[in-house]
Amino acid sequence: MAGSGGDGIVSAGESLIAAAAMEGYHAMMTKSFGSQIRGGESSCRVRVSAQPVLNPNGTLHVAVAFNWEDFKKFGAELPVGPQTVVIYESSTGVAPDKLPLEGIKPAVVFSVPIEELAKKTAETDKAKNIVVLGLLAGWFGVGRQTMVAGIHKKFAKKGPKIVEGNERAFNAGVEYAETHPLKEGRKLAAPVGGGGTKLLTDGNDICAAAAIFAGCTFFGGYPITPSSEIMQFLDREIWKYGGTVLQAEDEIAGVGAALGASFAGKKSMTATSGPGMSLKTEILGLASISELPLVCVNVQRGGPSTGVPTKSEQSDLFQAAFSAHGDCLRPVLAPINVGDTFGITVEAFNIAEHYQTPVIVLSDQEISQRKETVVPIDTSAFQLVERRRPTEAELVDYSRFRFTESGISPVSHPGMPGGNYLASGIEHNEDGSPTAGGEMHAKMNEKRFRKFAPLKNRRDLFLLEGDADAPIGMVSWGSVAGVAMEALRLAQAEGLQVKLLVPKLLYPISEVIYQDFFASVKRGLFIEQSHQAQLYRLVQMFTSIPARVQPLAKSGSNPILPVEVLERLRSMVLSIQSNQPNQPAAELE
Amino acid sequence: MKIHTANDYKSDLKPIWCPGCGDYGVLTVLTRALASINRPPHEIAFISGIGCSSRIPGYTTAYGFNTVHGRALPIAQGIKLANPELLVLVASGDGDGFSIGGGHLAHVVRRNIDLTYIVMDNQIYGLTKGQLSPTSRQGLKTVSSNQGSLEEPVNPLLYMLAFGAGYVAQGTPIDMAGLAKIIEDGIRYPGFAFINVQSPCITYGEAESQMKAQKEKVESLEKMGHDPADRLRAMALAQEYGTKLYTGVFYRNPAPPPAHGERVAQRHAAYKASPPVKGDILKLFTPSV
Ligand SMILES: Cc1ncc(C[n+]2csc(CCOP(=O)(O)OP(=O)(O)O)c2C)c(N)n1
Ligand code: SF4
Repeated sequence: MAGSGGDGIVSAGESLIAAAAMEGYHAMMTKSFGSQIRGGESSCRVRVSAQPVLNPNGTLHVAVAFNWEDFKKFGAELPVGPQTVVIYESSTGVAPDKLPLEGIKPAVVFSVPIEELAKKTAETDKAKNIVVLGLLAGWFGVGRQTMVAGIHKKFAKKGPKIVEGNERAFNAGVEYAETHPLKEGRKLAAPVGGGGTKLLTDGNDICAAAAIFAGCTFFGGYPITPSSEIMQFLDREIWKYGGTVLQAEDEIAGVGAALGASFAGKKSMTATSGPGMSLKTEILGLASISELPLVCVNVQRGGPSTGVPTKSEQSDLFQAAFSAHGDCLRPVLAPINVGDTFGITVEAFNIAEHYQTPVIVLSDQEISQRKETVVPIDTSAFQLVERRRPTEAELVDYSRFRFTESGISPVSHPGMPGGNYLASGIEHNEDGSPTAGGEMHAKMNEKRFRKFAPLKNRRDLFLLEGDADAPIGMVSWGSVAGVAMEALRLAQAEGLQVKLLVPKLLYPISEVIYQDFFASVKRGLFIEQSHQAQLYRLVQMFTSIPARVQPLAKSGSNPILPVEVLERLRSMVLSIQSNQPNQPAAELE
Repeated sequence: MKIHTANDYKSDLKPIWCPGCGDYGVLTVLTRALASINRPPHEIAFISGIGCSSRIPGYTTAYGFNTVHGRALPIAQGIKLANPELLVLVASGDGDGFSIGGGHLAHVVRRNIDLTYIVMDNQIYGLTKGQLSPTSRQGLKTVSSNQGSLEEPVNPLLYMLAFGAGYVAQGTPIDMAGLAKIIEDGIRYPGFAFINVQSPCITYGEAESQMKAQKEKVESLEKMGHDPADRLRAMALAQEYGTKLYTGVFYRNPAPPPAHGERVAQRHAAYKASPPVKGDILKLFTPSV
C-alpha cells in the first residue's frame, strides 16, 4: 500500500496485521517513508500467510495505490508483477490499461472509487483506509472475522458517530469486493492447525521485554536509530519491576552506568547502534577484564552517526568480535527474526551471568522495526541463570579472581559482607590487587579464555535445515537468514538438494560445527548484508571454508531476495552436474 | 554496632605513590572521615578512573573499582542507582575528572545522584609523567607544553557551582583536620557533593603548588566569615581559583532538594503493592486492531 502522508497507510497496515494475528495467521509488516518527516509519501508492506512468514520482501500479490505518484516513488520496494492484483483509487483518472508500471501487465486491475465510498459512508475521506481494509477482507478474507469488533474498539473514544461511520466504510469495501468478484479465487487458506491468536510486536520491543523477563533491572543508554525503542519500552515498563532506566549523556556514560549496576550485583543492559558501539568499546573491554556480566545490544545499520541510519545492514560483525583492546573474547549472538529475539536476549543474559562477561546481541534494523506475528512463547520453559556467588566458606579469605578449573570464579558485590575486593581494569592477582607482572597477566588471560570452552560448541545456538548430506550448503545469519530459509524451501520444492546453517552464536567461532556442516558441501553460499561478507571472512579466519563456497553479500538497502538466491542454487546444481566452476564470487575487493 | 576506626578502612596494599605525594594525606584523611561516618567497609563502593590519584580505592578496605580513564562518574552513578543503600565515593585526578571525563560533570550534577566526588587536583598529569593538565596555569612549561601553555585553565569550583551542585568545597592535605571535616560533611550531604583537593604532585608539579607554598597562601573560608548558603558569593570566591587558595565549604545548599534516589524510590513505591508478574510481560503484545 502506498499513498500520501494523510492517507492512513501505516494505520491501515497496522490494523491489517493485527487482524491477521488475531485470526491466527503469520504475518510481517515493514514500513517506508519518503524523505519528509511528516506529510510525505508513505508505504507499508504486509505479508500474510497460513505458513510462517520468513521474509518481508518479494513481488507483491496485491498492490494498493492511493495515488500513483506516491506509489511510484517507492520503486523497487513495491515491485508489481504479472501475478499482482492491483487496486487503485479511480479518482486518479488513470485508465486501468494505462497504469504507470513500465510495461508490466498485472493479472487483475481494480479501479475503485475509494474516496467516494469513504465520503458516502463515513462522511469523510479520512475513512479511505478503512474502505481499503474492507476491500482486502472481501477479496482475500483477512480481517473478516475481527475487523468490525476492532473498529469499535479503536474508535470507541471518538464517539458512536465515528464508530458507525467507519463500520459502514468497512462494510462498503467488503460489499464492493463481493459485487466485483475476482475471477480466480485468491482467498487465503485458513491458518495451519487452526492457528490460534499470535502475539504481535517488533524486534526492539520484544528485546526489551525479554530483558525484563530475564531479570534485568538496570538500563543505561543513549538514543540512536534504530535502537531507541528498546530504551523507550524499558522506560515504560521496567520501573514497575523495581528497575531503573538512565538516559545518559552519551553512550559511554550509558554503558558505564550499566557496568556499574552489574558491579553492584544487578543484571543490566545497554543498547545502541554501530556508532554508539564505537563509544562503548572501552567500557566493554573493562567489563571483559573485570569479568562482569553485561548485555549490549547493537541494532545494526550502516556507517557512523551520519551513516545510513534507516536501513538495515549486517556490517558490525567485525566490530562486535574484534573492537576490544588487548586479548579479549566476547560472545556475540544474533537473532533471526522478531520472535527469536526473545530467546536470544534471554540467552544473552544467561551467558553473561554464567561466564561473567559482556555479551553482544547483534540485531539489525530490519528485525528491530518490522512488526511480526510471534507464536505464543512458553516463558516457563526458560531457565534463568544467575552469576555464581561466593558461599560462606568462600567468603573466608575471599579471592575474587581465584583460579578454578572452569575459569569461572565466584563473584561478590558491594553490600556483601566479607566479599570486599578491588575490581579493576588494571591486570590483577587472584585477590584483585593490581599487578604489572607478565606471568600473572598471561595466566589471567588464559583463565579468561578457558572459561568459554563449553560455549563454543553449543549446537542449540545453531539452526540446521535441509538435507544433512546435501552437496550445496548455505550459511546465513540475522534477518537475512529468513531469506535463506525461504530460498531453501523454494529449492526443496524444485527437488534441489540443499541445506542451510544459521549460526545464532557468531563468535567465538566453532570450528567443529562449521566443519561438520561443510563435510558434504561441494558448492555453497554465505548470504549476508554487508559489502565485505563479514561472517564469511570471520569463519575463514578460524577454520577452512570449501573453495567453492562463496559469499552472496550486498551492502545495506539492497535487499537480497529469495529468488535471487534460488537462481544461484540452480546454477550450482548445474555446475556440480557438469563439474564446472560456478559463478565467480561477487566483487569483494 | 561495631565502632570502626580509621585503620579498619586501610587495606594492606602499600601505596605506590612517590614519597611526599599529596595523595597520602588524602588517604589518611579519608579513612578518618569514614570512621566518623562508621559505615562498615562492605557497604561502601569506592570508584575511580585512572591516574596516580585513582589508585586510592585499592588502599582502602571498601569495595573498589579502578575503572578506565575519565569514566568513574558514570560507573558510580550506575552503582548507586542499582543499590541506593550503598555509600558511593568517587575519586579522580584533574585530568581524569576535568579533561577526558569533563563531559560527565554537568550531567552528574543535574541528576543529583547522592555521590561524593573527590578530585585530587595537582594541576599536572602525574601517572603519565608530567604533561599539561586542564587545570595547569597558562604559561606552564611541561613536557607537552615545552614553550609554555597557550591555554587558560578550567575552573573546577566555578564549573560545579554553575552546573548547580549542592555541595562544593575545597581542601588540602596541609590542613588534615579541615579536609577530614569537609569530606565527612560532603558524604553526609544528601545529594551530589564535590570536593576539590589541592593535592600536590611532588615529582612533576611546580613549586607554586607544593605544600610549602600552599602554607603561605591558604585562607580559610570559615575564618573569612563566608556564609556557605550564599551561592553568588561562593561563585565570586571561586573565580579566584588559581590565584588564591581558599579552603572550606564554598556552597552547601541550605534546603537540599530530594536527591535522585528519593525520586526513584517514590516511583518504585507506586508499584510495590502489586508488582506485575515477569512471565506475563508478553501479554503486552496481544494484538488489537
Ligand atoms: C583512554 C586513555 N587515554 C589516556 C590514558 C593515559 N592516562 C592515564 S592517567 C592520565 C592522566 C593522569 O592525570 P590525572 O588525571 O590528573 O591524575 P594524576 O596521575 O595526576 O593523579 C592519562 C593521560 C589512559 N589510561 N586512557
Ligand atoms: S607522580 Fe606525582 S601524583 Fe603521581 S604519585 Fe608521584 S607525586 Fe603523586
